Amino acid sequence: MTTFIQLIVDGLAQGSIYAALALAIVLVNQATGLLNFSQGAMAVISAFVALTVTTALAPALGTTMAIIVAIIVAILFSFVLGGAVERLVMRRFEGGDQDTAVVATIGMLTLITGVVGVIWGYNYQQFPWFFPIAQSFMVGGIGISLWSLTTFLAIVVIMILLQLVFAKTKLGLGLRAVADNPNSAALSGLKVGRLLVVGWGLAAVLGSVAGILIAPKLQLTPTMLDSALVYALAAVVVGGLDSPIGAAIAAWGIAIVENLSAFYLPFVGNDLKVAVPFVLLVIVLVIRPQGLFGRKAVVRV
Amino acid sequence: MNALKAPNTAVLTAMNRPTPWYRTTWFRWVIGIVIAIVLIVLPNVMPTLGNQTAARMLMWAVAVLGLNVIMGYTGQVSLGQIFFVGVGAYATAITLKTEWAQSLGFLGAVIAFVLAIVVPGAMGFLIALAAARLKGLAIAMVTIALPIIGVPLAKRFSDLTGGYGGISVPSTWFKAPEWTGLGSDPYAEWPYYLVLVISAAVFALTFFLVRGKYGRAFAIVKANEAVAASMGISPYRTKVLAFTIASMIGGIGGFLYMVVVGYTSPDTMSFPQSINLVIATIVGGAGSIVGSLLGGVYFVLVTQIPTALQLSTYTTVIAGVVILLVLFLLPGGLSSLPRVIRRLASRGRVRGGGNSSSTTKNVDDGTAVSIAGEPGNTKK
Amino acid sequence: MLLELSHITAAYGPVQVLEDVSLAVPDGGAVGILGANGAGKTTTLRAISGTVRVPNGTIVFDGQDIRGRRPEQVAALGIAHVPEGRGTLANLSVRDNLLVGAYLRKDRKQIEQDIDFLLDLFPNLRNRYKSNGSALSGGEQQMMAVCRAFMSKPRLLVLDEPSLGLAPSTAKDVYAAIRRLRLESGIAMLVVEQNANLAFSIVDEAVVLETGRSVLRGTTAELKGNDEIRKAYLGG
Repeated sequence: MTTFIQLIVDGLAQGSIYAALALAIVLVNQATGLLNFSQGAMAVISAFVALTVTTALAPALGTTMAIIVAIIVAILFSFVLGGAVERLVMRRFEGGDQDTAVVATIGMLTLITGVVGVIWGYNYQQFPWFFPIAQSFMVGGIGISLWSLTTFLAIVVIMILLQLVFAKTKLGLGLRAVADNPNSAALSGLKVGRLLVVGWGLAAVLGSVAGILIAPKLQLTPTMLDSALVYALAAVVVGGLDSPIGAAIAAWGIAIVENLSAFYLPFVGNDLKVAVPFVLLVIVLVIRPQGLFGRKAVVRV
Repeated sequence: MNALKAPNTAVLTAMNRPTPWYRTTWFRWVIGIVIAIVLIVLPNVMPTLGNQTAARMLMWAVAVLGLNVIMGYTGQVSLGQIFFVGVGAYATAITLKTEWAQSLGFLGAVIAFVLAIVVPGAMGFLIALAAARLKGLAIAMVTIALPIIGVPLAKRFSDLTGGYGGISVPSTWFKAPEWTGLGSDPYAEWPYYLVLVISAAVFALTFFLVRGKYGRAFAIVKANEAVAASMGISPYRTKVLAFTIASMIGGIGGFLYMVVVGYTSPDTMSFPQSINLVIATIVGGAGSIVGSLLGGVYFVLVTQIPTALQLSTYTTVIAGVVILLVLFLLPGGLSSLPRVIRRLASRGRVRGGGNSSSTTKNVDDGTAVSIAGEPGNTKK
Repeated sequence: MLLELSHITAAYGPVQVLEDVSLAVPDGGAVGILGANGAGKTTTLRAISGTVRVPNGTIVFDGQDIRGRRPEQVAALGIAHVPEGRGTLANLSVRDNLLVGAYLRKDRKQIEQDIDFLLDLFPNLRNRYKSNGSALSGGEQQMMAVCRAFMSKPRLLVLDEPSLGLAPSTAKDVYAAIRRLRLESGIAMLVVEQNANLAFSIVDEAVVLETGRSVLRGTTAELKGNDEIRKAYLGG
């Protein structure tokens, strides 16, 4: 029982990382119709930026303060990065062929990974954190990882904040309108280009938070989020491309099922647990091609 | 009441012009023969490294060709092609290591070759049965799973596959037989010729495939599945066929990989390699035979040149920059370069008529980019 | 004149759609654009709102040359375009659809009052206030589209085939609603419509387009009285 709960908690934490990336991907997809394969890479580079800032400021401010400042800097950096990528690179591919656009994001993934490798190298680096990663505390006799809990809560809070921005603010309305029908939005005077830049920026921020949260656990390296990205994409497809909530729920589901099957199904084990999300993916897609929460696409010929 | 203007003189002139010399069948045959001669004579002129590089380029060109069948010609994004290459390589290696294969000599190699086609082909077929029902992006997701799951699987069944370390094939397998009289460097020249012959055969077969009835089916399904269905072409079956063929060609690529490299490991079919293969396909030119060759050349050069220039840390950056540049400037890939140059040249000559782009646009200026080249172009 | 088009041309690639179109809308007036399919009616509206390029001619709105401006800019100047097919923001609620229409405005209170005003004029939208755009019927979506355009407090309302895809009785209801809106607000309108009878129920004058040219102009009475028009567009 103890292990079961621990697995669930850890699954929730890991799933939060996938969920944050998945949400970012859904956001970008809704606004611009692209699946952004470089979402993870953008998160990784901002985590590295955070590392550099922390290392630079720690002697002066102490580790905790340094990390806080680093997080703020990294978030701003990722916002600018996301917006710049949209404006300078992706804008060109937005109206056209989907597959070309996906390859463009793959190109972005390669480029960013390469840049990170050049600047920071390919070795694993340790990201300092507010508390030791292995630290756990007891709840009802069960050891719960502090990192798991805080990560989960942090991401849930960010998601709620984002949801509030979308639902209640004018900016959110604009982003939703542009995502829904850019032509109508333009006719109503919305500055579509600008809103797209902001949308990508916000998505990048979301990814960056996920990247920073998982960095202390995984050890920083340029390809750190490659598999998380794949999980996030799987979650997006399972949850339904047009449903942010669906993607998040799918992400948590995937992570939990993965953890549980790694432990309880010996033939799966830790190395083959990667197969679990895809088995789920295939099953869901065969039954419901539009994803669990997705809407059936009406194709007009 | 119709909106016809005066006839578009530019188009009419182009239609009535005699075929330019560089397009005649005659010229193409000459070029083909020249290239063939060069390829055959090459090993005698080049150092061993050159032979090996050329052989690797041909081998990866085959892998790219397979990916082109499903992605370039049929328009389905597949991120799993590398998996089939890996399976083909493993099938080859495992077969060639067995005693009975070794006792069968040349026949053993043939059996290995056949298995390298059949095993990935069967897997591709089964996967396609499920995946072909799905819409575009879902297929991408399912195919991503292949390298991601393939790597731990290869590591897990280490008895069969050699685990982390991989398997190597004793080099005696690909030593030049006596009758070829290849004297100086049997290890370098024979593999090259073997690869040349096999890849030439694969390319030729594929060339005829895409020119024929199936190729047309691929193109129609790529353009519009609903239209294909209304014409009696089943998109599902076409996609399954394309995917199976792609996986078989990939398997051959895997066999050739063993001939050229002699060794395979789980990393052969890793996710980054999968991405590299997709990029190479686009850079070469999606949906084009020539493009597949160029893609193979690119695949090898993009790692080899930076290393040679002591810039190996920059390999990934360079790869990223190249693919983005290609997408921006030459979306049809390197194989579309002649066409683009011709178009730029003719735009200077012809005034009036032709394409002015004043189409309605959603957000910003600029017509949208497509990697499939010009619309309505059935590529060779 | 609030809006004046002079001899404009437009093309989609090599296909010339507008050859020579001229028309004018007086302040507070309502003008219709009539013509058969493919005559260039929708393209004319797109030329005004900036969604298609206009190589020749002039488009003057409220004294300013707006040819070549982008849709966002044209909207900001006071022209609200209700596109063909209504342009409903399907996943947003009716309220959000209207708020998008008011995006460029900053007067919160007035916006809410305007919403109330419109819901009074279009009671069936009030019933659907919280529903998603996609849940509305064709006629309701059309009315919502008109309201959304109106929410930006434009000087000129441009409507592209309001009756498209609607059953005849629904189209009549929509036009009755538009008529009420015009009476209550006095706003200027430019309406493209294939169904000339419907158009005549709300416009004072109209322009007839034929293969990209404006060939005939006149008041509603004049046009109704014109035999050719009657035969071609009013069913004899």
